[in-house]
Amino acid sequence: MLVTIVALGGVYSYLFRISLRNYLPSLTLGIVVWALLASMITDACTVFTGAEHFLQQVPLPKSIFVHRMLVRNLITFAHNVTIVPLLYLVFGIVPGWPSVLALVGLAIATLNGFWIGLLVGMLCARFRDLPQIVASIMQIAFFVTPVMWRPDQLPHELSWLVDLNPLANLLSLIRDPLLGQVPTRFAYLTGIALILAGFSVTIPFFVRFRTRLVFWL
Amino acid sequence: MATVSLDRVTIEFPVYNARGRSLTEELFRRTVGGMIHSNGRKGVSVVALRDVSLSVADGDRLGLIGHNGAGKSTLLRVLAGIYEPLSGRVRIKGTVATLTDITMGMNLDATGYENVVLRGVFLGLRVREARRMIPEIEEFTELGEFLRLPIRTYSTGMMLRLAFAVTTAVMPEILIMDELIGAGDAAFAVKATARLNQMISHSRILIMASHDVETIRRLCNRAALLQTGRIVTIGSVDEVIAAYLTGNADQSPPSSAADAITSAGP
Repeated sequence: MLVTIVALGGVYSYLFRISLRNYLPSLTLGIVVWALLASMITDACTVFTGAEHFLQQVPLPKSIFVHRMLVRNLITFAHNVTIVPLLYLVFGIVPGWPSVLALVGLAIATLNGFWIGLLVGMLCARFRDLPQIVASIMQIAFFVTPVMWRPDQLPHELSWLVDLNPLANLLSLIRDPLLGQVPTRFAYLTGIALILAGFSVTIPFFVRFRTRLVFWL
Repeated sequence: MATVSLDRVTIEFPVYNARGRSLTEELFRRTVGGMIHSNGRKGVSVVALRDVSLSVADGDRLGLIGHNGAGKSTLLRVLAGIYEPLSGRVRIKGTVATLTDITMGMNLDATGYENVVLRGVFLGLRVREARRMIPEIEEFTELGEFLRLPIRTYSTGMMLRLAFAVTTAVMPEILIMDELIGAGDAAFAVKATARLNQMISHSRILIMASHDVETIRRLCNRAALLQTGRIVTIGSVDEVIAAYLTGNADQSPPSSAADAITSAGP
């Protein structure tokens, strides 16, 4: 992680003509948080197909396998996030009280991860070409989400690109507080709206197809 | 009081080919209106159980007999709550333990002790309850210091001993078994059999599938004969075994397998 960030930081700060001091902190946190969001979504594809053996042997609640995926990703995130204090030291950043808000952002992202895990997990068990589709979508999403670049580098008339991108909003809910900024109210509303919308689609779907899942494996 | 009852349960497996598994194919079909893929796109499904009704009372030891593909394992999985039927009702009162794969849930990188807890939790125990079994399992498995090592280092026999010991340490009201489980070399097998028998006698209901009529005769007081997803005979062990054996004699085994495969909608 550290090697990637230093290498990318060097090249892109030169390309974008931004000083390393301005660029590296947001890049680092961008990559760390993106890794969490992206792997929650790609892992969602194998939540059930990867647990085929369990599903065919014991009647466990299906949500256990989603929890498993979330906990695994949160542990990886906790491991990656240890780079942040180092970043603060090197660049002399004092994030102050907004950093606490990162936990709220993390909670919102995790709740979204839950319905995505359940919904995408089930769909991927039924449609086996979906994981590849998700993987290519995530690749595109990486470039249109402000991970490598900053939203303020975008001309004003294109800012909707970031505003309408759910992943960009989730990203800013975790990254901005760690940089000492309070995320916008719009980002919070988007994050919460995503949870509500996601669950209102997932719950009926789950109720309808829960018993079919084991036959799809 | 433990009871199990099935009322006209039907289980059908969809069989998907590569096309049926593909989302792009599915979307394409929906939008194009089935004009292109209308031929040969019909899905096939296998009816594994058809209108099975069954009631098992407290104290029953039910043996399931039948050829391969008759639906024994499917029926066991319905009873275990893994398959939920499309039509029909399943009512089960009592705690259920399924002994199909006794190593399920064990982690190769975890130590023997950790695996006792892991496996115990999979069998429905709380962590504290699972820990409480440890001394007894230490004694039974005779694995000694090996329990401190990751089970990756165990031989197959040692691993089976451990899995067997934990699995048989829980005492469920309803016990479901696919063939008799056993473990280890001759000396250990004697101990294992005694332990398994103790577990069986502790349970209120035993439901087991087996190809071995002697096992059924020894352990069960009722039996059911399955054929292509239906229960054809149910009654006393001797009666059902007799029906099974005569059926063997005058029938070519995969009697009407084709009968079980029906064409279903897309």
